[in-house]
Amino acid sequence: MADRLRTHTWLFAACLALALLIANVAAEPTFGEPGNWPALLAALAPFAIVAMASTPAILSGGGGLDISIGPIAVLANVVLIEWLLGHDGVGSAWLAIPIVVLLGAAIGALNGVLVAVFRYQSVIATLCTFFVLAGVIAKIAPAPKTAPAGTWLTGLGDMVGPVPGGLLLVAGPLVVWWLLSRTAFHRNLYAVGGNDATAFSAGIDVAAVRVLAYSLGGAFAAVGGVALTALVSSTQASGFAQYTLIALAAVALGGTQLGGGRGGLVASLLGACCIYFMQTLLGALEVSSAWLNFVYGCLLVAGVVVGAKLLTLRPRGATA
Amino acid sequence: MSQALALQRRAPVLQLLALVVLFVYGAATIEGFSSEITVDSMLVLAALLGLAALGQTLVLILGGIDFSVPGHIAMGAIVVSELYGARHWSAPLAIVLVAVAAGALGAATGWICHRWRIQPLIVTLGIGAISAGAAIAWTQGHLTGAAPPFLTTLTTATGTTFGLAVPPVVVLWGLVAVAVALLLHRTAPGRRLYATGANPRAAALARIDTKRVWVVVFSASACLSALTGCLLAGFAGADQTVGDPYLFSSLTAVIVGGTTFMGARGDYTHTVVGALILTVLTTILVGKGYGQADQQIVFGVLILLVVAGYGRERRLRDRV
Repeated sequence: MADRLRTHTWLFAACLALALLIANVAAEPTFGEPGNWPALLAALAPFAIVAMASTPAILSGGGGLDISIGPIAVLANVVLIEWLLGHDGVGSAWLAIPIVVLLGAAIGALNGVLVAVFRYQSVIATLCTFFVLAGVIAKIAPAPKTAPAGTWLTGLGDMVGPVPGGLLLVAGPLVVWWLLSRTAFHRNLYAVGGNDATAFSAGIDVAAVRVLAYSLGGAFAAVGGVALTALVSSTQASGFAQYTLIALAAVALGGTQLGGGRGGLVASLLGACCIYFMQTLLGALEVSSAWLNFVYGCLLVAGVVVGAKLLTLRPRGATA
Repeated sequence: MSQALALQRRAPVLQLLALVVLFVYGAATIEGFSSEITVDSMLVLAALLGLAALGQTLVLILGGIDFSVPGHIAMGAIVVSELYGARHWSAPLAIVLVAVAAGALGAATGWICHRWRIQPLIVTLGIGAISAGAAIAWTQGHLTGAAPPFLTTLTTATGTTFGLAVPPVVVLWGLVAVAVALLLHRTAPGRRLYATGANPRAAALARIDTKRVWVVVFSASACLSALTGCLLAGFAGADQTVGDPYLFSSLTAVIVGGTTFMGARGDYTHTVVGALILTVLTTILVGKGYGQADQQIVFGVLILLVVAGYGRERRLRDRV
């Protein structure tokens, strides 16, 4: 078992998520009823997708850390509601979603160019993007606004045909990742993350791989913004720092190394599930709001410590 | 040329140049920019930012990252106000208690990260939530007390120190900066910190107790954040969100100063200049009459331009 855990670090996150799910059902039996699933999945989707979105940048190594994931998701949210779903907007989901995803990919590509071509440290490049986007968001949505009723968004927050909308949105990035895992890009990404100088000597176009990784993250973040919009049906022009932090916590909990080159999208998804189930558990146990932060912190630390205890013999380099 | 490069490697020369250029530009184009009261208030803001970024600097040199800064700041501000204002403790006792509590939490952070080789990112997120959460739970979210008045005197821009027309907190900051510079460059513990940050394995083989380094650095970082929280309680009053702006601004100050994310480069003198650059920049943007949103956009772009001069990575082909 311990050997297994060492090679498949995401197994721990999977076990923790399962344990928390069972705890949830025990605390509140209605949690597991199929009728609640669409709503649960819709609430999980934004967390899960921003966590997946911050993964490619981290995998690409060199201290890659995309702080601008939260603002990109919120930008997608305000652009959807203020422009694309307005009276003179495009309306249709088939047009609106690709537009925001392209927008996210473009911002991600900009981050990637700053990091890989202009050689900025990724923290400072994406922090600057964070500040700029925060300003842009405040300009686009100076006041909160609700989405018009009865659009495709309502379906995405509940059911799209026979499938829960949240599941559909989470599946999007996963399918893209699965398709990419059959290409050279996927292997090159892990090679670059493992050691960029070696990858460069081996003839890999490191800059191209990194730009692609960041733009992939940006595109995923925009999907997260769509999920957020489907959940709240209004503009959420604040609190994007929180999304970035939750995403990073989920990635770390999933077992992806911040040094790069190890981990994956599924691990981050499981990490996000852990954090989401922790929060629903706190709600189900009716923890008073004053204690919420404290208990959340304890659970987070306890979670990683238990995980790490199982993996104590993890190879060196994990402290970075 | 090589002498100039060597100098830049040792001291933040280009950073200082950027600071002077920004200040001269502000003084030339904004009326009253170089007046005593404006300079004093800029110095107070820079001092608070700089003190909040001190712990972050040490942790970055060690090769980690500290996301518990806002949590400890909020804890310090809330606890000192509650103890002094509502429970009538003596001010020094309240401050000592805050420092000890934060120091213990920080030591736990360092110990956990080192013992199980967990990424500091997620542990500091958890401990930060525990720290602020415990303070909020203890006061049940109702904060009635006010900070000791001498903390307010320390942080007013019109304050004087022993007859000099400099706010006391600025003098304090200057003393701390000199002490930290001496500690980092002229003492054995400082060299142990750099050695551990550069290569933990090599440091351990050189018989450095790396666990102690981790525990002490994280403990110091938490302690300093909480003490900054006490100062902020006197400066602006305490509430649950008082630390939030310092999450990313402390990180920005450290990196704009020139300390890098992957460890063992830079020192606190760099961060001091970084904090001054950020404060002058913000003051210029406010003085030019930009709105909040425009300020953030221009701020993000300008930081990229400033850092372009000195804070970029080496070319990949030079590292092969």
